[in-house]
Amino acid sequence: MSLYEILGTLETGFIFGLVALGAYLTFKILDFPDLTVEGSFPLGAAVCAALIVQGGWNPWAATGFAAVVGFGAGYVTAYLNVRFNILHILAGILVSISLYSINLRIMGGPNEPLLNVKTVFTAFEDLGYPGYMINPVFLGIVVIAIKLALDAFLATGWGMSMRAAGANPAMAEANGINVGKMKLYGVGLANALTALAGALFAQIFGAADAYMGIGVIIVGLASVIVGMSILPSRTIFLATTACILGAILYRLAVAVALNADFLGLYASDVQLVTAVLVMLALIGQQSGSSLFKILKKGTKND
Amino acid sequence: MIELKDIHVTFNKDTPLETKALRGVDLAVPKGEFLTVIGSNGAGKSTSLNVMAGIAPVLQGSLRVGQNDMTNWPVQKRARSISRVFQDPKMGTCEDLTILENFALAYGRTTPRGFKFAVDPSIRLSVAERLSLLKLGLEDRLDDKVGLLSGGQRQAVSLLMATTGDTQVLLLDEHTAALDPKTADFVLQITNSIVRELKLTAVMVTHSMAQALNTGDRTIMFHQGKIIFDVAGAERDKMTVEDLLHLFKREQGEELADDSLLLG
Repeated sequence: MSLYEILGTLETGFIFGLVALGAYLTFKILDFPDLTVEGSFPLGAAVCAALIVQGGWNPWAATGFAAVVGFGAGYVTAYLNVRFNILHILAGILVSISLYSINLRIMGGPNEPLLNVKTVFTAFEDLGYPGYMINPVFLGIVVIAIKLALDAFLATGWGMSMRAAGANPAMAEANGINVGKMKLYGVGLANALTALAGALFAQIFGAADAYMGIGVIIVGLASVIVGMSILPSRTIFLATTACILGAILYRLAVAVALNADFLGLYASDVQLVTAVLVMLALIGQQSGSSLFKILKKGTKND
Repeated sequence: MIELKDIHVTFNKDTPLETKALRGVDLAVPKGEFLTVIGSNGAGKSTSLNVMAGIAPVLQGSLRVGQNDMTNWPVQKRARSISRVFQDPKMGTCEDLTILENFALAYGRTTPRGFKFAVDPSIRLSVAERLSLLKLGLEDRLDDKVGLLSGGQRQAVSLLMATTGDTQVLLLDEHTAALDPKTADFVLQITNSIVRELKLTAVMVTHSMAQALNTGDRTIMFHQGKIIFDVAGAERDKMTVEDLLHLFKREQGEELADDSLLLG
């Protein structure tokens, strides 16, 4: 792998670090498996691209607004679950397929190119720095700042209530916490992070696409699982660090796999590679022993 | 303080599994009284506690606590004045959070939470002070996750958490039932001293007749969804478990067929 490729991997790694933080918030903190992100990632991209290209918005404002719209998407999913008792997974699927149509409407077609327009990344290129050098640094600063803000939030009275609402709902209620409200805001926040990732992703790769959300949930989960298995997460600070680290390592693993010619993998195999990686990691986590032992045990039982 | 008026609770209404858990319960617990509640399985003792906590759906009747009609209040709204210790030690605390963080949550029950950090030096100090009363050494383990504590320690912590702030009513749902006898005695002792010290209005459900008579100021017994007797004062002070059984036989004309009430 060339330096150029490694820096590129770092870029996408940081962006998916935001998705991983969202997945950590829903899956681990709130115990709310949220599939909305499959729709809110392209939603963030679509909103941001449409506002920049069609609306002539300032790219920073467009990126911020994309995050707000993402919050709305997550809020709707949680509302379906909290208010109408629709199963959380189903609520997420319903919202994400609705978003597929909504994204096509927003963009007025299946994609929205961001060519020859100002994005948050062109600002640095205007200063004379080459994009492939400065972009990973900029994204790294943004993602780490968001991570630290999330750590701080989870230590506040509100954040603590959110953690209790996910970990022990009956106890949370008995301590005066409105568990439903915590789910609404928490899932909203997770989708705001995901939509922000989508908006940044579209700007760095020069287009928003209706299909770019496929597999995002698995990438987010894979990052959390990979990160947590490498860095034991005794505290929130370590857990969120593990999420970002996991996202970068995961992108690196995928890049290496696709680069290794002897494996004969194409770029289009990336979803399959991801899914297999997550399956292996989950099986490994459950049994708490190495993959080799599990396979051996499997044949013994036959 | 707490007033239940003609409370009816029916589970699985209009289905083959319909169960009338409470059939017209009237109960008034004055401020500062420590009431103990006994009854066999399915008699309605836990359901009546759940009505006060807001977990059991009330079909008919009303519940007043202090000046407020709380019949239709959600659980989290009642939590400002009513607190609760669960039977399962795992239920009352959050095992992924530290002891200190759990207390921070409990403080949030009576004082509004905000975007301030939940744990600050003043909370640390006051929690350590309260925990030192238990003499379990927990004041030195404030940053340990609660999941590391034993069942008895967790129940003692739950009890302290439930009595922070300006709590008025304490509900105890067989809170010593899941503990070994020695630990159960210890938890019961601190329950007594805290209720007396803070002059709380307390309702304790128990499955042990002896515990019901030896704790608190007044005892009621549930049978088939109704209160069948209510004793307090001097009459209760000289009462034994045998007297209680005779009373039951006289009231109901049947033997009490639940060994756990006698053995507990």
